[in-house]
Amino acid sequence: MDILIVMMIGVVIGAKIFPKKFKRQNEIGQMVCTILLIFAMGLMLGNRDDLMSQLSSIGLVSLVLALGGILGSVAIVYLLTEWLMKPKKRRRE
Amino acid sequence: MVLLALSALILGVLWGAFGPDGTPIDLIQIHSDWILYLLMFLVGISVGLHRGIVQRIKEHHVKIFIIPFGVVTGSILGGLLAALLLRIPLNQGIAVASGMGWYSLNGVVLTEMFGATMGSIGFLSNLMREMLSFFCIPIIARRLNYYTCIAPAGATSEDTTLSMIVRYTDEETVVLSVFNGVLCSAIVPVILGLC
Repeated sequence: MDILIVMMIGVVIGAKIFPKKFKRQNEIGQMVCTILLIFAMGLMLGNRDDLMSQLSSIGLVSLVLALGGILGSVAIVYLLTEWLMKPKKRRRE
Repeated sequence: MVLLALSALILGVLWGAFGPDGTPIDLIQIHSDWILYLLMFLVGISVGLHRGIVQRIKEHHVKIFIIPFGVVTGSILGGLLAALLLRIPLNQGIAVASGMGWYSLNGVVLTEMFGATMGSIGFLSNLMREMLSFFCIPIIARRLNYYTCIAPAGATSEDTTLSMIVRYTDEETVVLSVFNGVLCSAIVPVILGLC
């Protein structure tokens, strides 16, 4: 929940006082944070000693269940949003 | 960006496994919460800079519940089908898949409900969901639509995977993504309780 509060503070600052010319710098800041977060996730994984032994024994079952959840969600959300929400499709970068 | 993300992940795993402890690198992991807060703050500024976004969210009205509804039912159905395929008890398959990427909670709860093996599967499977989400969000943004990028992320669409959604979609989808993450995180314990 505190994450929402932090974001709302950002929204107010962006709408009221943040100079538009620093938009690009703001985006670069977001990218740096993202890369650092992914790196931190890797650190967390690498620190787990049992990761490799777990992967070999329960890896396949875990993967099938993960794919089940992802594919099920993607299929239903795609059908519902195309049907009810008129989504945009645009390539960025 | 995907290459950069993948390199960061691999470097992180290697450093975590083989690097020495007690270097300043550890600070990144210890303070990752603050990095996330900073990211959310900067994302907030992006949303604030984008005039008319509040209007567009308001136009959706009750439709903002469409994405969380799809994520929850899709995860349950997907878990059910995967359980049939794997020949494991259906409620256990649903319990793992309805973690929707929230691996820490799912691992702990499933250990208590079904024992250590299911707990480990819950942890690993939801961790995999989060990882795979990172790399399928760019593809979904290109091939399907922006809203669907929220689907694989599930309950993590308000924090970890949000960074990819910020990068590959637009401000409106980011706001919907945060809303979806909050709602899904609230629903996960309820579904687990019913399994």
